[in-house]
Amino acid sequence: MIRSQGRWTDAGTIVEFCRYARAQGLSSGVQETLAALEAIAALGPNNSDGLKFGLRSTLCSSKDDWDLFDDCFQTFWGGASTLPRRTGNAPKELAPRAKGRNSSSLMASGSGDDVSSEQGGSQAIAGASSHDRLTKADFSTLPQNDMAALEQISLRLFKQMSRRLARRRRIGTVRGQIDLRRTIRRSIPRGGEPINLRYRERKPRPHRLVTLLDISGSMSSYSLFLVKFLYALQKHFRHVDTFLFSTGLTEITNLFRTQRLQDALKALSQKPAGWSGGTSIGGSLREFNQLHRRKLRSSDTLFVVLSDGWDTGDPGVLAAELAVVKRRVRRLIWLTPLLGLKDYQPITSGITAALPYLDVFAPAHNLESLLALEKHL
Amino acid sequence: MVEATNMGIVQDLPSGPDQGVDAIVTGFERLGYVTDRSLATAVYLVTKLGKPILVEGHAGLGKTEVAKVLASFLNTRLIRLQCYEGLDLSSAVYEWNYQKQLLAIKIEEGSDSTVEEKERHIFSREFLLERPLLQSIQVEDASPVLLIDEIDRADEAFEAFLLELLSDYQITIPEMGTVQAKHVPYVVLTSNRSRELGDALKRRCLYQWIDYPSLEKEMKIVRTRLPDIEEKLARQVVGYVQAVRGLNLSKPPGVAETLDCAEALVALGKLQLDEEAIEQTLGCISKSVDDNAKIRSAGLDKTLGRSMEEAL
Repeated sequence: MIRSQGRWTDAGTIVEFCRYARAQGLSSGVQETLAALEAIAALGPNNSDGLKFGLRSTLCSSKDDWDLFDDCFQTFWGGASTLPRRTGNAPKELAPRAKGRNSSSLMASGSGDDVSSEQGGSQAIAGASSHDRLTKADFSTLPQNDMAALEQISLRLFKQMSRRLARRRRIGTVRGQIDLRRTIRRSIPRGGEPINLRYRERKPRPHRLVTLLDISGSMSSYSLFLVKFLYALQKHFRHVDTFLFSTGLTEITNLFRTQRLQDALKALSQKPAGWSGGTSIGGSLREFNQLHRRKLRSSDTLFVVLSDGWDTGDPGVLAAELAVVKRRVRRLIWLTPLLGLKDYQPITSGITAALPYLDVFAPAHNLESLLALEKHL
Repeated sequence: MVEATNMGIVQDLPSGPDQGVDAIVTGFERLGYVTDRSLATAVYLVTKLGKPILVEGHAGLGKTEVAKVLASFLNTRLIRLQCYEGLDLSSAVYEWNYQKQLLAIKIEEGSDSTVEEKERHIFSREFLLERPLLQSIQVEDASPVLLIDEIDRADEAFEAFLLELLSDYQITIPEMGTVQAKHVPYVVLTSNRSRELGDALKRRCLYQWIDYPSLEKEMKIVRTRLPDIEEKLARQVVGYVQAVRGLNLSKPPGVAETLDCAEALVALGKLQLDEEAIEQTLGCISKSVDDNAKIRSAGLDKTLGRSMEEAL
């Protein structure tokens, strides 16, 4: 299809570029390569702008790709794009860069498919048993090198869980609207008399979810996973409001709604909202009640606090504020990583003050415990 | 008829690709849409390869406008589907006109046609309400432009259906049979990235990211859209909005806001942007109380001073 008029637009070079771009982390496959060839053929040779823009619009499929593309293009064609710098084995030379993109800090990397494939060898052999071990491991005691693997598993399981929740149907006690379309279809054999009515049922409307996540120092080894857990849950609920608290309250609803997980995590790590500071649960709840109480609807709101209950404030305040919340929600859930400890007794002043108001008090220290929450949602 | 309209398109787009892209840049500009070669190349490929294009970018940067301008550029029909949460096939593809069907059944009660005939009658085209997607593949004379706006708001089930439509350009209506596209529409999808789209859909599309324009480009846009505005005022407004974008607002102003603000200033008879003018037009730029506060506390004098310098 490509006539080799200019040396640098012959099909071979384009294919080579596609391979190179893929090695750099662009998410394009064979289909995109074919589309790219078609595009370049349509745009004609000796069209340097066309080469760049044509390839960019065919090979990219997201903002991430878009950002990565210019670099790839620049390196491959050396900027001038009139003559190729013959690349030879350039893809191999540059391969480490692609890996570097993913092995940055946990916070920045979030998930990366490459992480798992890099570790592919050992992972595959370890198989089910390592999967088992990791889902039961406490987040805080997990060795660093297991983090990436656990992240992979957790993202997958969180996704599965939220999909499962979305599929679930409740048995309807109230019939929905009449489905005229099917009613009429059924009525034809009876001369058009709609005798058997057909109904259309509304998809069950998921609860609204309001979460307060403790990001104080004592929770730091858990916070990151819990954030990801919350992010995955978003899909299931019609409406999610998410807040972080330590000494004060920060709303991150919008961040969660509009950003992809990686971007959201990146943005969070830059927020000065006192990651790993002290805790004032009561104070934060009071702030919540003052500013956001109207977000609670007793008919369908699920209110989740993720905290270990180490409160430096007055437990009386905590109890009073929780009482306010309790009146306005359908269910009040408190998750704590500490329940994972063998001999833990809920006797800290914060927890004892809160306990009377809770509908569910459950552990959240490892993947298994988080997934077990499904039944409460 | 069909050929005549197609001829028109061919005449609009010169055969050479370079000229083709240039023709799109100038043609779009003539229609009041300032574009660059990157977007124009993508649009050119849409017309040549027949692939859909997915346009992403922040709000107010003219994503939807791309489709509208493309339609008037090609002198063809624009069919628009606005997506929203809960959008279902009966409002996107087709629906039967039930009331009319019921009436028809009543009317035919006395006739001696068989049940099969009656059925065929009430499920004929006469009773079909065509929604945008079905319309788009039924256009008789030329390929229309199909705009699927804010696809990220529709749910995944709908996305899957769309995938099917975009690969075969045919829709099956159980009661009637399969409708095949007479002319494959030019499809423009827009997304605000409120959720990640499925890979399969993304792969099927060309991709275009629209970023905030540079100072020069935004000036050109303001001049094109508001030819009457004073050069000095335009420069101040653009400089001011560009500075506001740097403030990390919850809803940074797009080009649409720049134009609103400039238009408002012209309507207010302002000749230059001063503190009072900024206060009066704050509602054009910022859409929340928090953002208002941020802009005010950012120091108007400072932003103003900067845009003044740029104006000189």
